[in-house]
Amino acid sequence: MRSSRKVRITALLFLAPTIIGLLVFRLVPIGWSFALSFYDWKIFDTPTFVGFGNYAHIFSSPTAYKVFLNSAYFSAIYVPGSIGLALVLAVLLNNGLRSSAFFRGAFFLPYITSTVAVTLAWRWIFSTKFGLLNNFLGWLGVDNAPAWLADPTWALPAVALVSIWKDVGFYMILLLAGLQTIDPTLYEAARVDGAKPIQRFFKVTVPLLTRSLFFVMILALVRSTQTFEITYALTNGGPNRASTTLAFYVYQNAFVEFEMGYAAALSYIMCFILGLFTLTNFYFRKRWVHDG
Amino acid sequence: MTANLHPNRGNARVTLIVLYAVLLIYAVVTLMPFIWMLITSFKEPRDVFKLPPSFVPKLLFTDHPFENYVEIWTQRDFVIYFRNSAFVSFMAAVGQVFATSLGGYAFARLDLPGKNWLFALVLVTAFVPVEVTIIPEFLIMRGLGWVDTFLPLIVPSFLVGAFGTFMLREYFASLPRDYGDAAYVDGATPFQIFWKVYLPLAQPALVAVFVIAFINNWDELLRPLLFLNSNELKTVPLGLMSFVSQYEASWTLLMAGSVISTLPLIIIYMLTQKYVLQGFVGGGVKG
Repeated sequence: MRSSRKVRITALLFLAPTIIGLLVFRLVPIGWSFALSFYDWKIFDTPTFVGFGNYAHIFSSPTAYKVFLNSAYFSAIYVPGSIGLALVLAVLLNNGLRSSAFFRGAFFLPYITSTVAVTLAWRWIFSTKFGLLNNFLGWLGVDNAPAWLADPTWALPAVALVSIWKDVGFYMILLLAGLQTIDPTLYEAARVDGAKPIQRFFKVTVPLLTRSLFFVMILALVRSTQTFEITYALTNGGPNRASTTLAFYVYQNAFVEFEMGYAAALSYIMCFILGLFTLTNFYFRKRWVHDG
Repeated sequence: MTANLHPNRGNARVTLIVLYAVLLIYAVVTLMPFIWMLITSFKEPRDVFKLPPSFVPKLLFTDHPFENYVEIWTQRDFVIYFRNSAFVSFMAAVGQVFATSLGGYAFARLDLPGKNWLFALVLVTAFVPVEVTIIPEFLIMRGLGWVDTFLPLIVPSFLVGAFGTFMLREYFASLPRDYGDAAYVDGATPFQIFWKVYLPLAQPALVAVFVIAFINNWDELLRPLLFLNSNELKTVPLGLMSFVSQYEASWTLLMAGSVISTLPLIIIYMLTQKYVLQGFVGGGVKG
């Protein structure tokens, strides 16, 4: 038929940018990177094939080990921290108060503002002697406040804290959208049955919100492995790699050391871990997510 | 609402007060970096290292209140960085609207064998971390001789965009089919149906795609860091970072620069909040 041929040609033309983009900026790089991970290649030299050499090197390297631990630690702070806070804020804002719009706007603000700019403001707040935070702590009577960004113990939690601050408004908005689909008569029923607010939260709100929570959890998990801008502008991975996570380590290897093959192998390990976590989540999904 | 319906009025009032207190405290925590950024940008350099820290934006009470802004804008090349960021973000946002409106429409409404596979591929590959693809992307751009031009920051936006494609596919699919059928009976070509009938109807979603792309590109640090070397090509985030390494302690200027780089996003977001929130939530929750 003439017209359906016309439709098909139009469709092909419409999808041409997507197909080219998918090929050039997704599929080819994904394959190329995988191939690169089997080569030893400093960008200005000739590549040498080393088989699993890069992978073996990564698994025996103390630095890489430290970076893996840092990444796990970062996710362990970021994922529960941001979701917990977002859930509390969303529930508090889901009350029909007229001022909710103001608070929602305020909490969402960090998410849409320039990351480098606000991270630099945090860097100034964390400053050991003249920073707002330590002066505030001093005013509260804490007189051995840490040096935050210069302290190996606190640098990574500081990066996680800024990341939570930046993203929590986004997760809150997603959870609010989920909350608004809950039928208010269910709360009435629970109240009539004598359920206290805390019981209503755990017995009505949380079960009915599990679909949104699952989605937010996947998002938070993916994001927690990819922090780059905040690390770059806050600590540059220091002191002594204390706040270097996997994504940042890939960047450093590829574009500071120019060890392209090693960096590609690292990025594949990162992708593998991420995929594993996501699949695990989907596997356990039916255990706790209630599909309406 | 919950509070007012409570049988015990006194209790309800306490609940309400606690609720407001918690919200207010977190609002202060959330906004503090912005407030502190703003105050610092209106201080004199020597005031920055005063203990305890002062909350007075002293310059506002002089005859040269915008001194820090004037200095960073004119003498520290911020006007160049700002112009570059505006240009790159605008072009990339136009590119995203172009690529994803065509793609989203085709996925939603045009028949092509294998298009569902293609769509799945677009979504799945979007979950591959940027760390995996960035090294070959860098090698490709270097091979094309595009390093130290704006092309690596703009051209990809004219080709791919999983988020926008997904969002616009949903949007086009939600519009009634009858309009297109009527136009078809009147002899309109598939392109005319897209251009004259459906594209104007998708305006809210197109605004959302544009604004979200603009914000993301304005915010981007990794690619400008890799692809731009010359000072006259730097974007605002790069300019801010190079500024940190040169004048570590010039917090007054640095914070003025941060305000300048944050303000456009806040203004754009406020003007288009309705569309953008729908975009984030719609694109998010269903994804």
